[in-house]
Amino acid sequence: MIRIISTLLAFALATSPAMAQQTPSVVLEGDVKLEKTVEASGAKKTVLEDPKVVVPGDKLLFSTRYANKGSQSVDNFVVTNPVPQAVRVADDSASALQVSVDGGKAYGLLASLTVKDAAGAARAARAEDITHIRWTVPAIAPGGSGTVEYHAIVR
Amino acid sequence: MTNHCTKFMIASVAASAALGASQAQAAGVTAGTLIQNTASASYGSGSSTTTVNSNTVSIRVDELLDVAVTSLNAAAVPLASTAVLTYRIDNTGNGSEAFSINVSPTVSGNGFDATVQTIAIDSNDNGTYEPGVDTVIANGGSTPALAADASTRVFVVVAQPSGTADGAASQVRVTAQALTGAGTPGTSFAGQGQGGGDAVVGATTANANALGSLIASSASVALVKSYVVVDPFGGAKPVPGAVVTFTIAATASGSGMVNDLHVIDAIPTGTTYVANSVTLEGASQTDATDGDAAIASSSGIDVTIGALAGGTSRSVTFKTTIN
Repeated sequence: MIRIISTLLAFALATSPAMAQQTPSVVLEGDVKLEKTVEASGAKKTVLEDPKVVVPGDKLLFSTRYANKGSQSVDNFVVTNPVPQAVRVADDSASALQVSVDGGKAYGLLASLTVKDAAGAARAARAEDITHIRWTVPAIAPGGSGTVEYHAIVR
Repeated sequence: MTNHCTKFMIASVAASAALGASQAQAAGVTAGTLIQNTASASYGSGSSTTTVNSNTVSIRVDELLDVAVTSLNAAAVPLASTAVLTYRIDNTGNGSEAFSINVSPTVSGNGFDATVQTIAIDSNDNGTYEPGVDTVIANGGSTPALAADASTRVFVVVAQPSGTADGAASQVRVTAQALTGAGTPGTSFAGQGQGGGDAVVGATTANANALGSLIASSASVALVKSYVVVDPFGGAKPVPGAVVTFTIAATASGSGMVNDLHVIDAIPTGTTYVANSVTLEGASQTDATDGDAAIASSSGIDVTIGALAGGTSRSVTFKTTIN
């Protein structure tokens, strides 16, 4: 397992038209951990470790830490995370978060969403249908920070 | 804000489509696939709207070593002289992997142990053993590399050892093991996985086996010889000149078949063979070596019966005169 962390921030700065006007005051930092259930003296507990070996069925925790480094408060802060195709969102995250099953067009709780099956009939959406996750933070004060995260299982 | 959001969505869909090469399969994501996660955020600050991306975290999926073996013979295969057992090897892992094949005819509870003659891979994948077409491997040899979720068939040609009782049961075990390695689930082999990652033993221990069943089908032959004397005076006394008609009944028993059966008998001393007197099932046979079943001379007879199934019989007669 080789862990690659590349910074796309510079790329974003160079291409986004908004960036030309103003340096973004909020910084996002993504991370991933492997969730393992270990049994110590008869009790099971979940530990997070750096992913060294990852195989299908493993549970991952993707997190994104945001921090307002600027001097002004920001509002309407919306974090969007396309779900990598090689994972499916774990049930606990799938039922609790605002998700999309149509490539990010519409969001809602999973229980309220439907997808069309091969025959064109609508069926209730399932965790494996999720394409995007979205979190909304009304405002972040200068110096404020937080973390959004979701659990996923390697398909 | 709306504009920015829309723009960003298109970009993110494109990014996830680029990952589309890693299609999900029954055995899971293909080994070597990169899982890349990038979040983005949009927010208002004063009068403007800004979008920002996170760094991309990327992890590589390692190779899971798993295998399943299934016997494809629905019922016990009758084994007369030779029989073919068919097994399927499934690569249930998520990477390309070859498997070693071990065949053992010695299984606890066997009524007899079959003789393994040939082990072959179904090279043309048609499900039928074809000598000269399917690739023969040694016991302990390996399959070609099988892609994740792919399978291959293995044929085991077995022979019945001599002296096997009719109806005796036997099993033959085929064991497949990942060439990269096997062991307790979780055992890992650094750097040996497809795509450059590690290879990790899965729940199957990367070693699996299945039993194929055989039932011996053999037959034995019993010969019963009888005779009738007709003397020149209309009686049944064994006097010179009397004609003796010998009858040999060959009866096969058992569930199998007797092959290449010949009934051979010598002409008793003190008698003379009556030329062209051999019959098989009542049909007259000539003495010459020709198209019919019998060859006979003054010294004896040889009647070719060939294959005789258990439960059937054939009757051979011939005549001599008492000197």
